[in-house]
Amino acid sequence: MLILSYLHRNIWRNPLRVLMTGLAVGLPITIFVLSVAVVDGINRFLDNSARQLRLAITHKSSIVYPLPAGYRGKIEALDHSRPITVCAMRWIGGKVEDKPQPLSTLAADPDTFPATFPEYLTDPAERAAWERDRQAIVVGRGTAAQFGWRVGDRITIRASVPPYSAIPFHVVSTAQDVVDPVTLFCRGDYLEEEIKRQGYPEGLVSFFFAKCRSSDDLEFYRTAIDAHFANTPDPTLTQDEKAFMSQFIAQQFDLPRNLTILSALTVVVAIIAAANTMSMNFRDRLAEYAALKALGFGRALVFALIQFESLAICVSAGALGALGPWYAFTYTPLRRFTVPLIQSLDVRLAVCAQAVGIAAAVGLIAAAWPVWLAARLRPVVAFRALE
Amino acid sequence: MSAADIELVDLHKHYRKGRIDIPALDGLSLTIDAGSFVAIMGPSGSGKSTLLHLIGGLDSADSGIIRVGEYRLDRMSERQLTAWRSRHVGFIFQMYHLVPVLTAAQNVELPLLLFRMPARERRKRVATALEVVGLADRMDHRPNQLSGGQEQRVAIARAIVTDPDVILADEPTGDLDARTSQEILQLLSLLNAEFGKTIVMVTHDPRAAAFGQRILHLDKGVLDRDERNPARPAAAAHAH
Repeated sequence: MLILSYLHRNIWRNPLRVLMTGLAVGLPITIFVLSVAVVDGINRFLDNSARQLRLAITHKSSIVYPLPAGYRGKIEALDHSRPITVCAMRWIGGKVEDKPQPLSTLAADPDTFPATFPEYLTDPAERAAWERDRQAIVVGRGTAAQFGWRVGDRITIRASVPPYSAIPFHVVSTAQDVVDPVTLFCRGDYLEEEIKRQGYPEGLVSFFFAKCRSSDDLEFYRTAIDAHFANTPDPTLTQDEKAFMSQFIAQQFDLPRNLTILSALTVVVAIIAAANTMSMNFRDRLAEYAALKALGFGRALVFALIQFESLAICVSAGALGALGPWYAFTYTPLRRFTVPLIQSLDVRLAVCAQAVGIAAAVGLIAAAWPVWLAARLRPVVAFRALE
Repeated sequence: MSAADIELVDLHKHYRKGRIDIPALDGLSLTIDAGSFVAIMGPSGSGKSTLLHLIGGLDSADSGIIRVGEYRLDRMSERQLTAWRSRHVGFIFQMYHLVPVLTAAQNVELPLLLFRMPARERRKRVATALEVVGLADRMDHRPNQLSGGQEQRVAIARAIVTDPDVILADEPTGDLDARTSQEILQLLSLLNAEFGKTIVMVTHDPRAAAFGQRILHLDKGVLDRDERNPARPAAAAHAH
């Protein structure tokens, strides 16, 4: 009991120092847990893309170069025995007037969009509205929640690319069951009219999406499309949707890689902070440890005192840093929080356990130097140094 | 546990500070009778603290014999010395070196953790030790709730709670006022006279040294003078 009391009270000798160290360890653990949740979410999004049997067809040189709209008919005519649905997309980005947030808006072929992206417009009434209304727009539910838009609302978006004008739309769906919560889809024919009215070049698209009937068809078209346009002024690069999205994510934010590096760096910072604290504690208590050794205590007690304190601080802070986000994103309104491409942050308990393990490792590493010094500590030398 | 004679023969101890060789003890030989109270005086650097550390098994000599009772410390490993210290020596330091987060009773109980002893027996010994030093009513106070003199009394209780043969005190009154110093020295005298503990005390203060039955004067690592204190006749060794 005395030793337990000693170990426990040791931790709280300098509450401010413990608090600061706890924060220095807990926050990186929080960053780690959230980073894993974001990467998990991106992987879920990509896995969903992989199941859709969709191909993305872009310009071979870069996604920023447009393709002729006429490619759609040529792709559909490649092999009549293998039916394929092709939907042209034109990127218009956009912003709501007076709002800084950039939007992710695409103009899609109205006739093939429902078949190419069947997960959208599942409600027959919404689908009918899309087919009937040239100003129809499908808004990702995250974006809809952000701006307070509902089905039936009239909204205006200013395009970031030609035609650059403020275009009125009519919200026909907020795509509640779709993995991607942020992208908006409007009708391509409506955009073409606006482009024509403003005098910008017509008949160009940013890329195509093509929905195949089977994996065999997907593999066939993956090579056949590129082969068909290989010797044209606008050769294509055809990828399955997962590969395309992975490349797109890497080009736009490279989140998985950057978050992994960020997590690793913050854990290193945690080690440095905790090691600094344990070294300061050791220096502060040098006389005490020397006296304990003089009284006849061996290395074990001093080792236990330092190691227990380091582990207790780091594991407690790590547990709080990991379980805090888990609770917040599971039981509070934050569970509705969305990140681009990610439906919601799913902080898994298994990741929290892993994070606590990392915190324990931080505690062990942080105490390594003081423990080594303590093992070599000779009371006589310590007393002489303190004189 | 019986008190022990201390025998030191031709002790040599040097320290190195960078490239400089500093002699601390230079062929020192002496014996200290069991149950005696010996004060060691001398200027700074005369080797008195080194001598105390060697008798307490905290340091090892370059050469020479150190015998405390039946134990040859100069032949023991560091691990053996650590175990020996816990059973045969009580240390009293100038700065007390109590654990600030533990109460007086817990500080005194600490050395007993090295013994296989039931908790009830430990508590009994702690209570007795604190009673001897006059702090039975301060058991639950932490060091920062005690005066300097009271802290040193707790340190003395910690030194005697294991019933050691020898008590080694390094400037035990160096940080105390004159009146409190007298009280501490009287307490050490009591431990010597009533409980037969061998006490070796390093001090700069002649008034403190006057409590010893024998006063050893060291200078440059050798015994300069060995005085018997007529005011404090040697008592026969007691069995506790």
